[in-house]
Amino acid sequence: MSTVPSVPAPATSTSTSTSTSTSTSTSTSTSTSTSTSTSTSTSTALNLLRSEGIKLATLRSLWFTPVLAALLTVGLTTAVGAALGGKDHSLTDDPGVGLYYGLNFGQAALVCFGVLLIGQEFNTRMITVSLTAVPRRGLFYGGKLAVGALVALAVGLIGTAGSFAGYAATTPGAWDGPALARSATAGVLYPVLLVVFCIGATALLGNLTAAMGLLVPTVFLLSPLLSGVPGARSVVQFLPDRAGQYALHYADNPQVVYGHWTGLLIMAGWAAAAAYGGLRALRRAEF
Amino acid sequence: MIEVQGLTKEYDGKRVVDDLGFVVRPGVVTGFLGPNGAGKSTTMRLILGLDRPTAGHALVGGRRYAELADPLRQVGALLDAQAVHGGRTARGQLRWLAASNGLPNRRVDEVLAQVGLTEAAGRRIRGFSLGMRQRLGVAAALLGDPPVLLLDEPVNGLDPEGIRWIRTLLRDLAAEGRAVLVSSHLMTEMALTADHLVVIGRGRLLADDATTEFLQRHGRTRIRVRAVDRTKLAALLGGDLGSLGSGTVTAEPVDGDAWEVSGAEPERIAALAAANGVVLYEIAVQQDSLEEAFMRMTADSVEYRAAAA
Repeated sequence: MSTVPSVPAPATSTSTSTSTSTSTSTSTSTSTSTSTSTSTSTSTALNLLRSEGIKLATLRSLWFTPVLAALLTVGLTTAVGAALGGKDHSLTDDPGVGLYYGLNFGQAALVCFGVLLIGQEFNTRMITVSLTAVPRRGLFYGGKLAVGALVALAVGLIGTAGSFAGYAATTPGAWDGPALARSATAGVLYPVLLVVFCIGATALLGNLTAAMGLLVPTVFLLSPLLSGVPGARSVVQFLPDRAGQYALHYADNPQVVYGHWTGLLIMAGWAAAAAYGGLRALRRAEF
Repeated sequence: MIEVQGLTKEYDGKRVVDDLGFVVRPGVVTGFLGPNGAGKSTTMRLILGLDRPTAGHALVGGRRYAELADPLRQVGALLDAQAVHGGRTARGQLRWLAASNGLPNRRVDEVLAQVGLTEAAGRRIRGFSLGMRQRLGVAAALLGDPPVLLLDEPVNGLDPEGIRWIRTLLRDLAAEGRAVLVSSHLMTEMALTADHLVVIGRGRLLADDATTEFLQRHGRTRIRVRAVDRTKLAALLGGDLGSLGSGTVTAEPVDGDAWEVSGAEPERIAALAAANGVVLYEIAVQQDSLEEAFMRMTADSVEYRAAAA
């Protein structure tokens, strides 16, 4: 059995360099030139992204949920377009309804993905290992958000492009309209904002089960159901998923008090607030 | 090298770690001992920056842990072997860890071989025994070839062969010049593994000594004596014992015909017996085990004493 030789930064040189800088122990490596510290932090960030990517790839529940989200989004939109495209006027009057029919189901998988991505670290207490490898909590959290947003962006691109293609093939011409560009942009950004919101909310709660129990029923059941209730409608329209989905629609809804783009901004506001709340909670937490 | 200074941690006003200070030096295995609830794990979490100290600080290689760049190259830690996701394979778990600190994938296979998990590398951790998880945790700690190692109860769940293995491993790692801090509640194991002991109770430092000195200081030395004529021996040891040692000398009968004398020197007992015509056929020096010494010194600070005891 070999006794652990030759890793790029040998133990002896590392301990020497750290012991010499003991006197200025409070701040990290300011004495070195800025270019060196910049390249160091860049490689640190790249290492972190690679590490979070491997975490994603080595756990089935983590890579399967976004795949499922894309499949549901494209598949159900195409299926509904094929079955009802020519008959159901609620789909064709506002192409945004039929185009994103599948996203209603795909988003449930996206919520699961966002919650699992960081929630599993809390649940298994693996976060103690993650934070010994990456002790700067803001950086660790940033890595989670970046990987989650990148994956969600891919789901948004594939899901939206696939939905447009599938719907166009089954319901010719229905997707065309002046709102096309805005609706497609929102279709790509909605999954990103939703996943960022879920990662933030889960970090804020610090608990996988609590986050799953709160977010999945809210996004999948409560919010769509309540938006049909006259009294609740005026409040529910400001929930992140309602506001974001309004940007997908082609037609104006007189009962919604904000514009389509503003809806996407409201959702972005929710995502930013949740992400910030999660950061603060994570910085304060003790493991 | 780990330096802990004035380290204090309060949870809801209760002091779990109380003004703790000690140094873990390179080249030796430092055993971290204390009864359950003494604050060992909290201290280790404070060193790793997972908990924030109420006061004081812990430095690794002269820096706070959170300030270390690529910390896995400087400190290898095993806190809780169960803190893994069972859905990953052993290799998957080590791969993301290696990537996070820019360590080459080659290291993953090296440490897997070092802990004897090469065969199980592609299996999901879910099916691992506690002993295999401990080995995986040790592999993770060794990944960055760090000069400092910090292991919380690493022999938990290991079979006798595994315990032997980790004992040899820790001693080898220290012999290579690394600083090794290892906590355990298994006293006999620590007596065999640790060169130095840091003992805490109720969060406070009780002892910081070389293992041999600790035993001399806190373990009693007793001399077991047996004589051919029991009544003569009883008369002899029941009398004035002041001449037998420099301090307080006590003698008490134990299991039948034997007596135990503490605080005395064996040659003086032999001389006294000879002068009084008592024929001894056993005179043996007995040292407390580490466990006995530990029990004696932590008796006051046992947090959760069994009610019946």
